[in-house]
Amino acid sequence: MRSKQQIIPYLLLTPALVLLLVFNLLPTIATLVESTFVMSLRSGERVFAGFANFERIFKDPIFWKSLQVTVVFSLVVNPLQIALSLGLSILINQRLPGIGIFRSIYLLPVAVSLNVTAIVWRLLLDKNTGMVNGILYQLGIERQPFLHSTEQALWSIILIASWIGVPLWSLFILAGLQNIPPPVLEAAKIDGANAWQSFTKVTLPLLRRVLAFVLVADTVANFLLFAPIILTTQGGPQLSTNLILYETYRRGFLYGDLGASAAMLSVMLLIVFVIVGVELYVLRGSD
Amino acid sequence: MSAHVTSRTRRNRKPLRAYLLPALVYSLLIIGVLIVVIPLMWALAASFTPNHKVFEYAYPFSWRALLPVDFTLEAYDNLFARGFGRAVGNTFFLAFVTVFVGGSVNALAGFAFGRFEFRGKNALFMAIVMLTFLVPVDLTAIPRYILINNFGWINTWQGLLIPGLANSLVIFLFRQFFAEIPQELIDAARVDGASWLRVLVSIVLPISKPVLVAAGLLMFISQWNSYFWPLLVAPRQELRVVQVEISLAVGQYGTVWNELLAGSMIAAIVPILLVMPFQRYYVQAITGTGLE
Repeated sequence: MRSKQQIIPYLLLTPALVLLLVFNLLPTIATLVESTFVMSLRSGERVFAGFANFERIFKDPIFWKSLQVTVVFSLVVNPLQIALSLGLSILINQRLPGIGIFRSIYLLPVAVSLNVTAIVWRLLLDKNTGMVNGILYQLGIERQPFLHSTEQALWSIILIASWIGVPLWSLFILAGLQNIPPPVLEAAKIDGANAWQSFTKVTLPLLRRVLAFVLVADTVANFLLFAPIILTTQGGPQLSTNLILYETYRRGFLYGDLGASAAMLSVMLLIVFVIVGVELYVLRGSD
Repeated sequence: MSAHVTSRTRRNRKPLRAYLLPALVYSLLIIGVLIVVIPLMWALAASFTPNHKVFEYAYPFSWRALLPVDFTLEAYDNLFARGFGRAVGNTFFLAFVTVFVGGSVNALAGFAFGRFEFRGKNALFMAIVMLTFLVPVDLTAIPRYILINNFGWINTWQGLLIPGLANSLVIFLFRQFFAEIPQELIDAARVDGASWLRVLVSIVLPISKPVLVAAGLLMFISQWNSYFWPLLVAPRQELRVVQVEISLAVGQYGTVWNELLAGSMIAAIVPILLVMPFQRYYVQAITGTGLE
């Protein structure tokens, strides 16, 4: 009986763990392995090449430009989304009549795919007939090129990503706000704290865990932004929106250079591991 | 609105500030709502508009842009005549199989992690579930593509479906829920000689509605909205899913805006209709792991 019981959990686990092992863990390792192979032009076979792919991408200005665009994008989009999400979560946490309706409406972008968002916003931001320019026209402001300009394209992508991102991350922060016991805030009030003081001294410290999680999850999600790029700018104009995951797709699938693509993905894996490692470090033992 | 506020202020002798704050909150919320709703309203209205009039009221902007004033079903008719129904059917099929097969696989694993003590439990959990949870699937798509190619699964249902069945986020959800079921409930059934399968089916499942709904929604919607993987692994037309079909339409018939928007609205309405009645479950499902 006892020995039979010992087998059961393993039986229950087998399907899920085998699938995860084969389709998730193995490809992770394979990314690292693949980055050390090149496709031989002569024989069409994969040949071990050591660090040649890495040397190649590290000498490649397009890779560096793509990394630079990704870093600039991340430095803007993540603080922006988190600040706005925090603001939104505080607003929808207010106990006011009709707040439930607002919460439902803000859930709409969360349910809609990034593709639909990108398609709709691409048309809204059209430089000739888009509605955003139509509204600017009514306000007496001249037409803007948005996705067609090297200065505005990345900002347009930030807008598209944030239309989903802000409502999504505000759900996490809202859940964090609702976990704060009301007596804690009442105690602060009794002690004479004004709204701002109780927010910075009580609420924010209690949100530390949630905010740290959102910061990391948001950073990783934006680091891997893909759909809005392929559906709007395809990296342009002049590579100004050529975010890194799109660059790996361009290399691997459009140009068939899987070695370079895998080398870039390995660099990205390393970056993601560092970000996640920092998360685990920050959140360690703070239960 | 403001007159209403001031008259009540006088009557109740409450400080004006007590009304200013809610007014400010509502104003900001309404600005946000406009940013959320106007794009969707325009897209919906435009999908019911003849193609040559799609941008008519958008530039210069008038309120007519947000309502289907020149109502027609032309875009939807043409879209389905072109075979969009097939993509909708494919996506529903994939989503349902993912929910039922993937859901069972993940629930069994969650049950094992949540209810059993066994050797290597933590090691397995950390090494496989945590690690795969932390590495985003899009990052490993290319080697997964090569693997699927080696299996001969490019342009097949298996290739679309099987890699997404096991989902570490869903295993987390189940584990968390099952771990909180009172031990007495399970012990009672075990004493009666019920097998673990019986316990799972007749004791655990009936009380697991919240986690089943949450996990089901999560799996259905992530399959419905998935794009990168189907784009890579199944470009063949008969296997196309909704998200791929609408994304290809961007380049393909670039000027048929109303059809593009009609496809997008169909892609959007399904998850919206699923999420709205089950908001609480869905929010718990997506925020659950972040707060653990």
